[in-house]
Amino acid sequence: MNERRPGMFVPALIGGVTAGILSGIPIVNCLCCLWIIGGGLLAAYFLTRESSVNLTAGDGAIVGVFTGIIAAIVETLVNIPFRAVNEKLSQEMMDRFSQFYDEMPSGWESWFEEGSFEGSIIWTILWFAVSVIIFSALGALGGIIGISLFKKKKAVQNAEGVGNVSEDTSDRKS
Amino acid sequence: MTVKTKLGLIYVITLAGIITWIAAVFLAAYLKSQSSPLSGFIYAIFSPTCHQIPSRCFTAFGYPVAVCARCLGIYFGFLFGTFIFPFTKGFAEPTLPPAKTFILVSIPISVDTAGNLLGIWTSSDWVRCLTGNVWGLILPFYFLAGLSDFLLRKKKAIASKDGMGEST
Repeated sequence: MNERRPGMFVPALIGGVTAGILSGIPIVNCLCCLWIIGGGLLAAYFLTRESSVNLTAGDGAIVGVFTGIIAAIVETLVNIPFRAVNEKLSQEMMDRFSQFYDEMPSGWESWFEEGSFEGSIIWTILWFAVSVIIFSALGALGGIIGISLFKKKKAVQNAEGVGNVSEDTSDRKS
Repeated sequence: MTVKTKLGLIYVITLAGIITWIAAVFLAAYLKSQSSPLSGFIYAIFSPTCHQIPSRCFTAFGYPVAVCARCLGIYFGFLFGTFIFPFTKGFAEPTLPPAKTFILVSIPISVDTAGNLLGIWTSSDWVRCLTGNVWGLILPFYFLAGLSDFLLRKKKAIASKDGMGEST
């Protein structure tokens, strides 16, 4: 039987680039962390499609971590040209917010001045480092969910024998 | 380290992680109220994962917390889910929840998000938080099962390698 474990790079690249772009574009990024989980799901989908072996939740976690790292790189790059737009949007939001709330915290106007370090290299590096850590965890989550969602399709496709990607891991006895 | 100890350690780290994460969400607002420059740093940490639009955030200590109501709901859901986890079958033998369950808990957050994005309705922060909460509840069941599977598989691979070595 020719069982083949697929490479994880291409699925992670597809998921990571998609998630990174979507979470970096202003307004579209209002779905927050859901884009990264979605990227992990997408990567898991491509991984299960290419695979002819039983994939486990651990495979989903690995491809998800790679997806998160790629998404962090892409998001950081996408964010650079959109930084000015993001700041303007935030400023407008705060202006609108101030109309709804009588008691705004004192000195809120200066928040954006304080955030002026956002343009610096230090900020970009910090942003990237934080993104890598958080996106890896979220990507792993998406990858694991993806494996659990797409495995059934795989099982149907491979009904003649190859892998039923088992839903549970109860065959592992400690 | 035994498998059981490893699973326990994963669980404790995850629980401590999510508690710290939620605490930091509120700490940002507290530090802001104290005019501490550190608050900017904490708000920045959360910025890659949340839009942080103030009108969509709960306020604490007179300032918006570091994430929106929906994200906060997801985090609290994750925390509750992590608490529940040991009381289910999952802790002894980590299993992934069925796809149907995931789809079911995703319906409220999907419908609410779609309705808001399409401008059909505008949900209150509490509705956003609640739908996020329902969705977040199931996430640790995937996260912990996935991590456990990864670690156990690694152990299995090492064991089988040793076995092969012995047989040759």
